[in-house]
Amino acid sequence: MKRRTILQAALAGAAAVAVPHASRAQTARKLSYLTWNIADQEQLFKEEFADFRSANPGVEIEWLDKKGTELPAFYQTQLVAGTAPDVVDLQGAIWVEYAANGGLLDLTPYLKKEPEVAKLFNPDYLASWQYQGKNYMLPFYIAKTLLYYNKTLFKEAELSAPPSTFDELLSYAQKMAKGEKTGLLTLNFDWLYWPLFKMNGIELLTPDMKKAAFNTPQMAAVLDRLAKATDSGAINKIYWTGRWVEPNGAFAGNTVGMLHAHSSSYFFVKGQGSWINESTLGVAQAPGYWATPTNHGFGISKSTKNPDLAWAFLKHVTGTKWATRFSQSRKLLTGNIAADRAGLEYLRKDDPLGAQVLQTQLEHTDKFTGNWPLPFDAQLKDAFYPEIQNAVLGRKSAKAALTDAERAVNRVLSRNS
Amino acid sequence: MAVASAVAYRPPRLARKRTRQAVLVWCFLAPSLAIFLLYRIIPLLWNVVLSFADWAPLRTIRWAGLDQYEEMLHDDVFWEALWNTLLFIASAPVGIVIALGLALLVSSEIRGRDVYRTIIFISYPLMTVAVAIIWRWLFDERVGLINYVARSLHLVDRPIQFLNSFVWALPSVIVANIWQMLGFYMIILLTGLQNIPPNLYEAAAIDGANARRRFWRITLPLLKPSLFLCIVIGMLNSFTSFDLVYVMTGGGPGRATELLVTYIYKLGFSQTRFDYAAAVTIVFFALLVAIAWMANRLSGGNAGAVETD
Repeated sequence: MKRRTILQAALAGAAAVAVPHASRAQTARKLSYLTWNIADQEQLFKEEFADFRSANPGVEIEWLDKKGTELPAFYQTQLVAGTAPDVVDLQGAIWVEYAANGGLLDLTPYLKKEPEVAKLFNPDYLASWQYQGKNYMLPFYIAKTLLYYNKTLFKEAELSAPPSTFDELLSYAQKMAKGEKTGLLTLNFDWLYWPLFKMNGIELLTPDMKKAAFNTPQMAAVLDRLAKATDSGAINKIYWTGRWVEPNGAFAGNTVGMLHAHSSSYFFVKGQGSWINESTLGVAQAPGYWATPTNHGFGISKSTKNPDLAWAFLKHVTGTKWATRFSQSRKLLTGNIAADRAGLEYLRKDDPLGAQVLQTQLEHTDKFTGNWPLPFDAQLKDAFYPEIQNAVLGRKSAKAALTDAERAVNRVLSRNS
Repeated sequence: MAVASAVAYRPPRLARKRTRQAVLVWCFLAPSLAIFLLYRIIPLLWNVVLSFADWAPLRTIRWAGLDQYEEMLHDDVFWEALWNTLLFIASAPVGIVIALGLALLVSSEIRGRDVYRTIIFISYPLMTVAVAIIWRWLFDERVGLINYVARSLHLVDRPIQFLNSFVWALPSVIVANIWQMLGFYMIILLTGLQNIPPNLYEAAAIDGANARRRFWRITLPLLKPSLFLCIVIGMLNSFTSFDLVYVMTGGGPGRATELLVTYIYKLGFSQTRFDYAAAVTIVFFALLVAIAWMANRLSGGNAGAVETD
């Protein structure tokens, strides 16, 4: 009797172990797909999946969307566990770390095998997904910084056109600062403020990316001027401390002359600022045409069991048909040349000002800055920016802040060399 | 000797019963112990290992000796976060003093005291994230109630950037933390107050002691266990106020509101420096144990105990 019970238990155990294997074998053509804070596109994604399934019968697609702060922690955990989603949407420079540590599949062989795929995309945006000469991602949606300006405040300050130099940027800001009104704001996450320094000829790192290169008299002078402009009210203090909601909200409040931000800000600001229309809001490139890109791209996790299927899916979602639908539905650009052309055409009728904003995203794409492909980008940002804040908000002299920032940045570089 | 052997001897039936009972107790304890072991002890031990190693996801682990701890000595952010954490902890007694005042008020014979108790307590069961969002809006410079009132009363000319200011950010987060804990402290202290025998007050009144003397000589000494319980819990809560700080300021501006706990999170999940984060966690844990031990010692080793005689 006892022996029979033991046998039964052993059989039940074996069955329990075997069943998941069997079910896994049945769903060998399963793809998991992780996106970043874009759950509002559920309907479009469902149609995309159905279309993909009709061309690839028997494929099961599991879609998961994570909010902004949740995705990196989630994806990291999945990578370590070896269960990372097959296709993943990553933003900013976070992908470099995963690529450098072998978490992402090198897409270069696929792109070489099918050169027509690469031709679909704006080459500058596609190149921004390269690490050590290898391409790890395809563009999902793209953005870069630009300068928004409040035409009414410009008129009041007797300014006729947006600034074309750093000197003009600061002097215009000063002219508009009056009472509660301030002249300039920027978003400051992901190096979005870097064009300000780049337009002054400042480099963050040496060309070999081994040492800090920013601690120069020129940089100290720029910081001093920014600190003075902040102290006088020409630059809104939120410039240096606010994240996303605060600076965009302040600009939407119709009391700030210029906002240095990427194209996504337009839709946020427009939603909050009833004053915004073609005759009150102007858009321009920042002085020197420098801009920091902040893109979303799709990569394939190296742990995928179906790399070819994942590649086919990647081509499917970034291809002209679905990228066009996405561009029109979300009012953004995708990096897919034909899709963006169609998206802009659509937007010109629906929201001409929005189309002007998006148009800037396709111009001067050879002047990207602040997008160093470094696997320790987050550490670098964390070492650099707090010291810059200290300088511009008057907590430290520019010289002292730069010395401290240089020490911190060099420490990060030597730790990761 | 004979007595000892008589005590040691148990009839076999009783011994079997005891064994069965012990097995049963262990069976009931096992799931909890397994979870505790799996989710607390093993991660803690792994954390200790990691703090002496060089490791990041997808990289092989390497022995690093005391490198991480050495780095901590030169890490300005660590010291700033530690200082902010200590300030945050030091704010706990402020909340307890306010709660004591409120507890005395709502334990007196005032009309509607149950309503007041409910209103004060309501902050505690709220989710910390909700508390953080509420206070973020209250402190907002454009639409926040505090700035609106301050400007309406002509106390300030320009709105104060509470959460974006190096000066105001930490005090603002502390205010939100105190507000959330106020209800909890008040309930603990109210229970303590209700446990004080009324005849002590009556005897003191007959002896001519005024209200102030009664408070200092009767109320405060007899509230000592409840007060220390509040202090211990308040300190531990301040030590681990991750969600409040993360939602309200994210540790900024600069490092103005960076606590050890938010710094550990950023090291791990933003910078992917799990090894260094582990070392900071070990120091954080040691501090936590030291503070809890110290607070308990100060309370005479019986924080939260109910005086029975």
